[in-house]
Amino acid sequence: MKNFQRNLQKLEAADTQVLGVSMDSPFANKAFADQIGVTFPLLSDWGGDTTRQYGVYFDKYKAARRVNFLIGKDGKILEEQVDDEAIDPTKLVVACERHKLKN
Amino acid sequence: MRKRSRGVTSGGLLLAAIMMASVSQPVRADDKKPVAPPKWKVGDVAPDFKLQYFDGTGLKSVSLSQYRGTKNVVLAFYVFAFTGG
Repeated sequence: MKNFQRNLQKLEAADTQVLGVSMDSPFANKAFADQIGVTFPLLSDWGGDTTRQYGVYFDKYKAARRVNFLIGKDGKILEEQVDDEAIDPTKLVVACERHKLKN
Repeated sequence: MRKRSRGVTSGGLLLAAIMMASVSQPVRADDKKPVAPPKWKVGDVAPDFKLQYFDGTGLKSVSLSQYRGTKNVVLAFYVFAFTGG
């Protein structure tokens, strides 16, 4: 999440809203956001319905996997990063900026 | 003498390499096993959702569809709060 915070200005400049999602409670997520200095919303998927809907529920942890989706203005998925690859969001930032230039 | 000891060392290294390979492979295979590719692929329409977050004063709802036509959305799933960054 901190890596997204570091790139937040670039992402916002490219018309992109960042949303974190986990299966923690909204209050735990708020405390986590404050602790690590994240200013974008960390959404609570309490119960995991959305996590399962997106196919990123990991049974072993009873939680979400680390997966990033970049969703375009048309609602279609533009980029995907899974597990270790998802720690560094540079690929998504570059994709956003490329898209911004195109449009 | 020298030649012989070198031979022993390289033999030992080879053995070590074989042992490491045989140890690391099953571990890797085990790690990868539960990791299936995500259900949704690039180009698919992302399913809509409505989730809440706490902004410090109250609970706010956010849906994917509210950004349709105006903004891209990065949806970053993470395992647990207070782990990693």
